[in-house]
Amino acid sequence: MEFPHIFWWTFAWMMFWAVTGSIAIRHAYLRRDLDTSNAPFVGAMLGAASGPLGLIPLYLNTPTITTRLMVAPPLAAVSVLMIAFGFADPENFCVSNGSFIASQIVNGLIIGIIYGFMALGLTLIFSILGVVSFAHGEFYMIGGMITYFLTAVWFPGMNPVIAISLACLTAFVLGAVFERMFLTPMYGGKIDRPVEYGILVTFGLAFTIQYFVQATAGANPLKAARYFDFPRIRLPTSADPWLIKTSRGNMELFDTVSISNPRFTAAVMCIVVFGLLLLFLHRTWQGKGLRAVSQDREAAAIAGINPDRMNMLAFALGGMIAALAGAMLVQAFSWLPQVGAIPAMRSFVILVLGGLGSVPGAFVGGVIVGLFEAAGTGCLPDAQKAASYIPAYGMIILTLTLLLRPTGLFGRRFASGAHGKF
Amino acid sequence: MTRERILQAAGLILVGFFAIFPFVYTANDYPFVMHVLTACFFYAVLASSWSMLAGYAGQFSFGHMGFTGIGAYTTALFCHYFYLSPVPTELCTEFQFGDQYLVVVDAIGVTSSTLTQDCLRQAMTIWNGSVEITPMPVWLGITLGTLMGGLFGLLIGLLVLPLRAAYLALFTLGFSEILRAAISAEIAITRGQAGIELPYLFDAGITLFGHHFDKTDKLPPYFVMLFLLLACLAIMVWLAKSKFGLFVRALREDQDAAAALGVNTTRYKILVFVLTSMMAAAAGAVMAHYIRIITPNNLMILQMSLVVAMAVIGGVESVVAAAIGAIAINFVLELLRNSFEIGPIEVDMTIWRLVVFGVLLMITLRFFRNGLIAPAINYFLRGHVAAETVAKRTAAMGDAEAET
Repeated sequence: MEFPHIFWWTFAWMMFWAVTGSIAIRHAYLRRDLDTSNAPFVGAMLGAASGPLGLIPLYLNTPTITTRLMVAPPLAAVSVLMIAFGFADPENFCVSNGSFIASQIVNGLIIGIIYGFMALGLTLIFSILGVVSFAHGEFYMIGGMITYFLTAVWFPGMNPVIAISLACLTAFVLGAVFERMFLTPMYGGKIDRPVEYGILVTFGLAFTIQYFVQATAGANPLKAARYFDFPRIRLPTSADPWLIKTSRGNMELFDTVSISNPRFTAAVMCIVVFGLLLLFLHRTWQGKGLRAVSQDREAAAIAGINPDRMNMLAFALGGMIAALAGAMLVQAFSWLPQVGAIPAMRSFVILVLGGLGSVPGAFVGGVIVGLFEAAGTGCLPDAQKAASYIPAYGMIILTLTLLLRPTGLFGRRFASGAHGKF
Repeated sequence: MTRERILQAAGLILVGFFAIFPFVYTANDYPFVMHVLTACFFYAVLASSWSMLAGYAGQFSFGHMGFTGIGAYTTALFCHYFYLSPVPTELCTEFQFGDQYLVVVDAIGVTSSTLTQDCLRQAMTIWNGSVEITPMPVWLGITLGTLMGGLFGLLIGLLVLPLRAAYLALFTLGFSEILRAAISAEIAITRGQAGIELPYLFDAGITLFGHHFDKTDKLPPYFVMLFLLLACLAIMVWLAKSKFGLFVRALREDQDAAAALGVNTTRYKILVFVLTSMMAAAAGAVMAHYIRIITPNNLMILQMSLVVAMAVIGGVESVVAAAIGAIAINFVLELLRNSFEIGPIEVDMTIWRLVVFGVLLMITLRFFRNGLIAPAINYFLRGHVAAETVAKRTAAMGDAEAET
């Protein structure tokens, strides 16, 4: 970094006013007996963005916190930080090189969509059962493993669509059976602390699956072949394809942004399935039942929905979504029995950031986490350090969200069940 | 009363067994068994302190390994970067204390022996053996590690005050992961994945009862770890029986009700965090000096899952049961490191043992919710007292309502 002191002093200044703001604004709202649930967040973000300039009017007037007040300060804070970085390190690629920025953003978006899709499964499980499934990464892993073994080892040349469907089916059945065998005691109030029980028992499932796969499939990295090749496209002309140029495994947009085939197909697949899931949740009886149970268990039961059946469906569907993400990504990454840990962590982050139990939150959260990670890996001056810090970026978002706004972006408080007390 | 006597006798016999064992066991695999037992005690400290935190206080933290890592890395960095020298090196940052100089070695990260060495090594090359430098005492490092663990425990305890259940689990998991990423990324200071080496627990050996033990002998670390385990257990059992234990359990069952009845929930939540993280940090520091190298992978979620599983299988609501469970499970897991053949299929138990372990964990959770060892202890301890829990009471109330 050329002028590190510019960046770090700005950062320290922002941190100072963020901490001051979160404490002072909460105090101000508390003193006037107003709703304090969003006050620390707004205070912190406004403090970071504008320092005392914004905090003093907020402290004196204590206006009702509107959506605009919730959205603008964080965006402003991020912009200030970005500008400070730009002045501190003008030579950095992610300040000076436009095409680098564009490709980082596009790749961040794509990976964010995939993460968001995985988190969607976790969100579904959480909103119905009230459990954070620690086995989510393992469902992702077996999805990829089964697809790899079907297409490459057991039936070489098998159509990947069939293989992916079979992998999803396996994960669905596994989820359903596990839920029936191990999660049923949670619902009847027969055990002291159902949430902790759920965490532990899914943890046990994760442990078992991971070592079972390691014992049967071995610990060597596996990688599936590309499922589909891009058709050859040259636009606008084949002599000067500045708009779009594809080879079989790669796509290049505007001569700058290059997207690899596996990630592209995975992201498109995720968007399509996301749409189908929304249709399922909003147009079918089962889907409506799921949403009803997530809103109010007892009321749903009175209306003739069997909440236990919905629990099973939700857990199985959640596992299936993770398995689908895994089956799509096994062509992009090397596959190991431990591969699930990383996307599982991302899913936890997105789950909390988007708001526990929120479907749009999962998607928006996924995109934010993907972009944040792309910025972190692309912009830190020391590339080796940046790569080592990858697991931390998401976790920083997670801890910040839990500290400032535990409900997340689109969170809501749950009417019943074991979910929502915090 | 007699039942409690039996229990006390059994406890004494167990402690006596571990105290005498190293002197009477003489088989060929003596170093191996001693090493396994030391590791068992290490895990027992972790599992029992985690059960205090999770089982007693209901704070489901997944950051326990993080505290272990803080203890281990504090003492490692302390012993790695601070030395006492009678002569100023004039290369390093140094402070004078009386006739000694406190030398702070500069951080050079991972280098091979042919590249530039750190300032102290350069100074030693110049001195050519004429000056004797003193490394920092190991016990001071361990103490610092323990205190640092307590400090971080305080910090985390303060931050997680408003969080419950799943949120707490995710937050502590996040803390542990950030710590691990930071340690692996800051290679210049922590040497990252290359790991940092530590001095022996007793670098000059130790003479006990007229017998000199070499620094590589397994017996002194074995007893240090055993004493640490017993001390932690004693503190926790005493606390669990005192008012502290009662308050903390009240906090677990219903935080609001406990607060309404005058329990200072904030203070006790933080206290239990500080206490258990200090224990984890102390165990980590001692273990680090025993195995003499630590890497960030020691903080991995996998290690955490082992500790959690041991505590749960032993019995998460009893610190003693968790400790016994950890010792038994770790010992069995180590013994299972072999392979056997069923007909033509060779089963490699090194991996399958963990599958079996996972299944055991799930089945214990499902059918023996208090663990496998805690019920046995409870039978002797208060078999005559009806085990009363909130869940049982509500279940009974539900039945009563159904009858009316």
